[in-house]
Amino acid sequence: MVKDILAKFHEVAASPRAQMDKYMAEGKKVVLTAPVYTPEELIHSMGFVPMGAWGADMELNRAKEYCPAFLCSIVQSILELGIKGAYKGASAIVIPSLCDTLKTLGENWKYAVDDIKFIPMTYPQNRKPDYGIAFTKAGYERVIRDLEELGGKYDAAALVESNSIYNKHNASMRKLDEVLAAHAEITASQRSDIFKSAFFMTKEEHTELVDQLIEELEKTEGTAAKLPVVVSGILTDAPQLNAVFEEFGMHIVADDVAAQSRQYRTDVPECDDPLDALAVKFANMDNCSVLYNVKKPRVQWIVDTAKARGAKGVVVVMTKFCDPEEFDYVMIKKACEAADLPLALVEVDRQMVQFEQIRTNLETFRDMLMM
Amino acid sequence: MITLGIDIGSTTSKCALLRDGSDILATSLRVGGLGTEGPDEAMQELRESSGIDLSAVDRTIITGYGRNKYEGGDGEVSELTCHALGGRLVFPELRTVIDIGGQDAKVICLSESGRMTNFVMNDKCAAGTGRFLDVMANILRMDVNDFDEVASGSVSPAAISSTCTVFAESEVISQLANGVDRADLVAGICGSVASRVSALARRAGVKPQVCMSGGVAKNGAVRRALEKSLDTEIAFDPRAQYFGAIGAALYAYRQLQQ
Repeated sequence: MVKDILAKFHEVAASPRAQMDKYMAEGKKVVLTAPVYTPEELIHSMGFVPMGAWGADMELNRAKEYCPAFLCSIVQSILELGIKGAYKGASAIVIPSLCDTLKTLGENWKYAVDDIKFIPMTYPQNRKPDYGIAFTKAGYERVIRDLEELGGKYDAAALVESNSIYNKHNASMRKLDEVLAAHAEITASQRSDIFKSAFFMTKEEHTELVDQLIEELEKTEGTAAKLPVVVSGILTDAPQLNAVFEEFGMHIVADDVAAQSRQYRTDVPECDDPLDALAVKFANMDNCSVLYNVKKPRVQWIVDTAKARGAKGVVVVMTKFCDPEEFDYVMIKKACEAADLPLALVEVDRQMVQFEQIRTNLETFRDMLMM
Repeated sequence: MITLGIDIGSTTSKCALLRDGSDILATSLRVGGLGTEGPDEAMQELRESSGIDLSAVDRTIITGYGRNKYEGGDGEVSELTCHALGGRLVFPELRTVIDIGGQDAKVICLSESGRMTNFVMNDKCAAGTGRFLDVMANILRMDVNDFDEVASGSVSPAAISSTCTVFAESEVISQLANGVDRADLVAGICGSVASRVSALARRAGVKPQVCMSGGVAKNGAVRRALEKSLDTEIAFDPRAQYFGAIGAALYAYRQLQQ
């Protein structure tokens, strides 16, 4: 049964286009959601299927007409896929303003991909004060207006329902993260499939499948981890990267990955107005390189989580040219050193075809931890 | 107990035979690394120079970039681990290994007991590697092995960029066109490698005793420039290029002990 559920996650994770076609064949409209955080609850409540657009591992060509070489390859690959028609049929793409490169993506998208509407989601830098929450809410209202132009309809009661569906999914994903920590037989690739598939399924469907997996896993005693590690970064879905984790017996007991657990840490709170609640949710989010916080609690979060989960080390998977992650890395490294927590740094890129250097790096890290 | 280590690098293949995890019985080296006849030729040379029947070897471990593809070993291990082990065998007080190979540079930190505690790799750029020196030697129509002697005659080392091999190549050509003394150019080139690698070393953390390993370790001009840049003495052993192979043989011995 576990095997069947994992196969389903893999199928979805490996074939986002098939999922998109399926939803469109059902008469649903798909709205793409770019990294890192978009108001999916809002999109869902207005009758659209939100579908994650985090790019793909590929050679970049057409995107270079718009982007210099030193831009994050995740963002460039989203643009590349857009130009090449991989998202054809999507009604819109919502692109948040959470890093400089994402800002350029939105502006370039308008000219490069004219058949998929660009909807900006402009977030405030200071999201916690009342004026920040009001700014976020104004950004959501802009998204509502744009989605209404595409036939969507905003209804507060529907948003209450969507907020609840997303909170339930968040809870399931957090529970799953805890369960997976005790089941080393679930590989890094399978873990990646589970999290990645969440971007390509409705949350109702994904929650059901995740709950089934949790139920099945809890019936068995998990295999103990050979080498428990915490992984941090923006994206860790490259099959070759996960194969290296598996080759060296590294079991991910927790992650601080933007495309994985960071998505599910914060729920929409109870408020009189569901749109206010969604804005407060964004204000409450933290522990992420693209969410401004001068105190950088993320750094200690990584150390504390690693200790709590019994990790022997931390692996930082740095997306090349990701400024927010690079700024945080220095602090993470110092904090891990202070906590006597070994740390490895590997650099990834959507255009990578050779992972031998990463293999050497992580093999050495394994030796460092085991010898 | 005899163990064999084979280090298949990007430009050379090295072998080392070890008795009982401590006596280095023989070493061999052949130009030609990954994907060439180099490993087999190095084995042949080892066989001939040592007079030891390699069928008597108890365990063989492969390291270096070619470790995954070479058949004939009992296992493989990362070259960083091997350079740490090999360096520590030769220098028992060793705390920092600076390995400059043909295509990359690595710095490995060791605890007092010799356990690896940290490492950094420069694996994305030719600057600060043996390849950088090869490219420059080609422009100057020199043998890279002569760099040490030529650089010793320098009065005022030329300023060479340490950022990029391609740009540095243009710089050297410009300096030649401006009539800069060849000795100053070579000293500047070696200083450029040292500048790049010392930054890497500081990132990892430098604690004495420091040694160099890899092919570039033989270049005294780079060693001296590194000593100056890091403000610390750098231990040198003529077998520095074999530390990876020696470490692999030691790793094999330790596996047998377990």
